[in-house]
Amino acid sequence: MDVRSWVAFAVASVTAFALRVTKRAGTSLPGYVAARISPNLLFYALEKLDRCVIVTGTNGKTTTSALLRSLVAQDETWISNALGANLLQGILSALLPELTWRGQLRVKRAILEVDEATLPRLTKRFRPDMIIVTNVMRDQLDRYGEVDATLGYLYESTRDETVELVLNADDPLAASLGKNRLNTFYYGLSDWPEDDLLRQEVRDGAFCLRCGGELFYTRTVFGQMGHYHCPVCFEKRPEPQFSMCVRAMQDDVKIREEVRLQRILEYHVTQPLVGIYNAYNLLAACAAARLLGVNPARFEVGLARFTAPIGRMQTFPGNPSRVLALIKNPTGATMVLRSLEGVQSGNPLCFVINDADADGRDVSWLWDIDIESYVKRSPLVSAWYCAGTRGADMALRLKYAGIEPARIHLLERAEETLRVNADEGGSVYILCTYTALHPLANQLEAMQS
Amino acid sequence: MSVKSIRIAHLFPELLNLYADQGNLAVLSLRARARGFRVEVVPIKLREPIDYRQIDLIMLGGGSDREQRVVSEALAGYAQDLRRAIDDGLPVLAVCGGYQLLGHSYELPSGEILPGLQALDLVTKAGTSRLIGNIAIELPETLKLARSTVVGFENHIGRTEHSHQALGRVLAGHGNNGVDHAEGIFVKRVVGTYIHGPLLPKNPHLADLLLTYARAYRGDDGTLEILDDTMEWQAHDQMLARLNVARKER
Repeated sequence: MDVRSWVAFAVASVTAFALRVTKRAGTSLPGYVAARISPNLLFYALEKLDRCVIVTGTNGKTTTSALLRSLVAQDETWISNALGANLLQGILSALLPELTWRGQLRVKRAILEVDEATLPRLTKRFRPDMIIVTNVMRDQLDRYGEVDATLGYLYESTRDETVELVLNADDPLAASLGKNRLNTFYYGLSDWPEDDLLRQEVRDGAFCLRCGGELFYTRTVFGQMGHYHCPVCFEKRPEPQFSMCVRAMQDDVKIREEVRLQRILEYHVTQPLVGIYNAYNLLAACAAARLLGVNPARFEVGLARFTAPIGRMQTFPGNPSRVLALIKNPTGATMVLRSLEGVQSGNPLCFVINDADADGRDVSWLWDIDIESYVKRSPLVSAWYCAGTRGADMALRLKYAGIEPARIHLLERAEETLRVNADEGGSVYILCTYTALHPLANQLEAMQS
Repeated sequence: MSVKSIRIAHLFPELLNLYADQGNLAVLSLRARARGFRVEVVPIKLREPIDYRQIDLIMLGGGSDREQRVVSEALAGYAQDLRRAIDDGLPVLAVCGGYQLLGHSYELPSGEILPGLQALDLVTKAGTSRLIGNIAIELPETLKLARSTVVGFENHIGRTEHSHQALGRVLAGHGNNGVDHAEGIFVKRVVGTYIHGPLLPKNPHLADLLLTYARAYRGDDGTLEILDDTMEWQAHDQMLARLNVARKER
């Protein structure tokens, strides 16, 4: 460790200690302080790792990381930035507590979720063992400009062919990263319940990256996910080595794997989370765990101990019970709504929409959420509530989705959603953006005790 | 007599659909339906012909640079007929990438030049940074609308110059090029703007102007029935208030 890094480490340790003493949470602060003093400290710590898995992509980073951790971390400890601080300072904050004053790492394995735009800054100086790309969709456009820019960052970060690359085959954008590259593994759905509703969804990659032609889908899952091919240049979905079969009304899914011409292996796994998007997260985690050498016989034990990360359809028991879900981009929000379809009637639905930097200052994505399909499937939502700095925008969005204005209520403060009531036995669903998540979760936890 | 109808041609939705253009279509449709019109949104894919006798309004949305390149390559075939239709008074709403494509050309950051529809005297060049943020503009007085402000969000790397009337004067934000305080373009019945996605939801007067134009194009000069826009103006005013505060702080 160079002198400057050591000073950075010392200052960060004191900061972390001070935060602990004053009982203040600040997931990124020690990392932020340390990174300001020495940009080398992060790479010094990373180099000490024996094994490092990086999870990136637009949606599902946190959930996939958490699922993978539950699968691999049964006998050994893994470092993780579990609280979702996925920029460089957040990663450093996760490593710092394991760093000793003699410059050693106490724990030598890490599963790190990394923001797509941050990844090239990391891979420029550090070679992880594995990179998982969950999907590439439009996120907070004002932060990245365009989906193309995100794809460019990911392409740049995955050129080193000694790094194992685990990609979603059903997403034409994510899958394109593996083209003409060795050491790439794909996962994808082989079968899933058909959807009889015509959906008005935005597809981010519905055109061929090679020739620009419109991709043809024999089956679609959601967003641009599905079984696709280009009728012009015959580019098509790669055949995944890890495939999953999802059946309607069943908790368990079947995974089939065929890696490096080994014998075909099939096993069942219990799905700990609802929603087909979580089937992808589970499959990505299982594929990565298998590549890391975990026996599938041990999967069930690991998943039984899995707890959903904060805000991923987290249920807070009570009367009424409340369910908290983070929404931050159109596909993610559409998927959350879709997993609520068919939930018994009489449940109010709340949205808390903020537009701070961390939320994305542009809220046009609200208009790309497929609320219309949700309204068709769940016509009996008892009432709709909107709050947050862009609550009025959300209320308008609901009005133009065909909901009667009299049933849409604009609340002044986000906390008021916690006082919304449900019919007997029903639940209040609160869908919120990032900066509203932690305050609401904290208050919901306080209400429990 | 048949039921009065409005047909909106949504151009190249498979490519130009970046910033919630669905939102603008939803607002036009719902507001027309509320007045008893039958509304039809006709998606026109790239290279499909446009039957100008069958439509009352064109909606041209935004796309990424790559998508714009694909569109640009196929535009020449549309240019002549579209120019004629615009001259005849066909209303067009062109947002962001679609706005740029109405002009002579769009020069990408790489220096590559994408030819446009050549329908308006409009030139766009990529700048070095993106112009991003909430924006408020003031519409020209000649429009005589109930409200003169338009609010929304802009996000573009292109800098646009043109010799026509601008859609509005920038009160807060960047506009066409961040320099001359003009935003968008307003020629005949063509509205071009960098204010994307939720342009029409929070600006019902602009939505109604386009609907009035669509009717006028078919020879119906009647006025539109007034709707309850309490929620729309609430969102509009909230943004205005917020931008004013920001200006005071500056």
